Amino acid sequence: MRIMIIGGGNVGFYLSKTLIASKHKIMIIEENPTHCERLVSNLDSKWVEVFLGDGTEVNCLRDAGIHHADVLIAVTGYDQNNLVACQLAKDYFGVKKTIARVKNPKNIRVFEKLGVDSVISSTESIANVINQELEWNDVNKLIREHSSSLRLREVQVRQAPWLIHHPLKDLGIPKGIIIIAILRRAQAIIPSGETILQEEDKIILWGEEQLISDFLHILSAN
Amino acid sequence: MFLIIAGCTQVGALLVKKFVDTGHNVVVIDRDKGNFDYLETGCNCLMIHGMPIDEDVLKEAGIERADALIAVTAEDNMNIMISQIAKHLYHVPHVMMQANHPERQAVLSAKGLHMICPIALTADHFYTSLLQKENSI
Repeated sequence: MRIMIIGGGNVGFYLSKTLIASKHKIMIIEENPTHCERLVSNLDSKWVEVFLGDGTEVNCLRDAGIHHADVLIAVTGYDQNNLVACQLAKDYFGVKKTIARVKNPKNIRVFEKLGVDSVISSTESIANVINQELEWNDVNKLIREHSSSLRLREVQVRQAPWLIHHPLKDLGIPKGIIIIAILRRAQAIIPSGETILQEEDKIILWGEEQLISDFLHILSAN
Repeated sequence: MFLIIAGCTQVGALLVKKFVDTGHNVVVIDRDKGNFDYLETGCNCLMIHGMPIDEDVLKEAGIERADALIAVTAEDNMNIMISQIAKHLYHVPHVMMQANHPERQAVLSAKGLHMICPIALTADHFYTSLLQKENSI
């Protein structure tokens, strides 16, 4: 695919690096000459073209070859610039898909209403992770009221690949800890000793707090 | 009329004065407190210090009941975003904006935005003034 990226700061730079690895052709427009130099000297010119200019201007987009782009991704640090870049790409140049980064998560709704196809907010992603964590804390608070030392914990199987391929009964899970559920895609599975974990699973552990932290320590050490 | 002016620039301050002096109800928003210095002392308008593309700030300014909004910040893209929020999300009856870059006018008036471009207006004015003079000689 040919991808036009507006904004060559940190987000644009690492995004390009990642996309090159999947063999996409990248065009980047960046208005700061120092950032442009970094892009040119650190990215393979076979895959990346760098343009100095304002990616919210029609002439600049045209010169950079927006007519060849299948997708436009706007990742400058300013929400208003990302909106205008996406709208120009879509309405004026007919680019099929537009993706924008927003700094203020409230702008997700605004951008979607104003025609941007996908809107991403790192602030919101982080907030979601924290909220999930908080929900666990609420559950644990409830448990603590009834028993001082029992806890629930969630573990990503991906973090401990040696858990995969063997039935649970052979994993040497210490006494005092049980796996009460496996979260696989959108399903919750109640496991038996014969259940085999998969890489994308999350497991929910129930047991003594000390035993669980020792076990997690062993998991990460392996 | 209840009017919101986004951007207490020199143009913004002049607009505030004109509307306040003729008895209208005006709220002016700017993200830079120092810009409120452009207003006359004792100006009878509400000043809101905040980012004018932030919906919370616009709501505080009363966008839900505004009769009109004029976006005259120093940044074209900011004005374009404010105007679209006002027009398409809050259905403000009259929305206008300033565009400093003449080429944006052609592109974005297609989005139904009422734009005023000072550079284009000035150039037109000089052009027609001179031609009129020449014809009258």
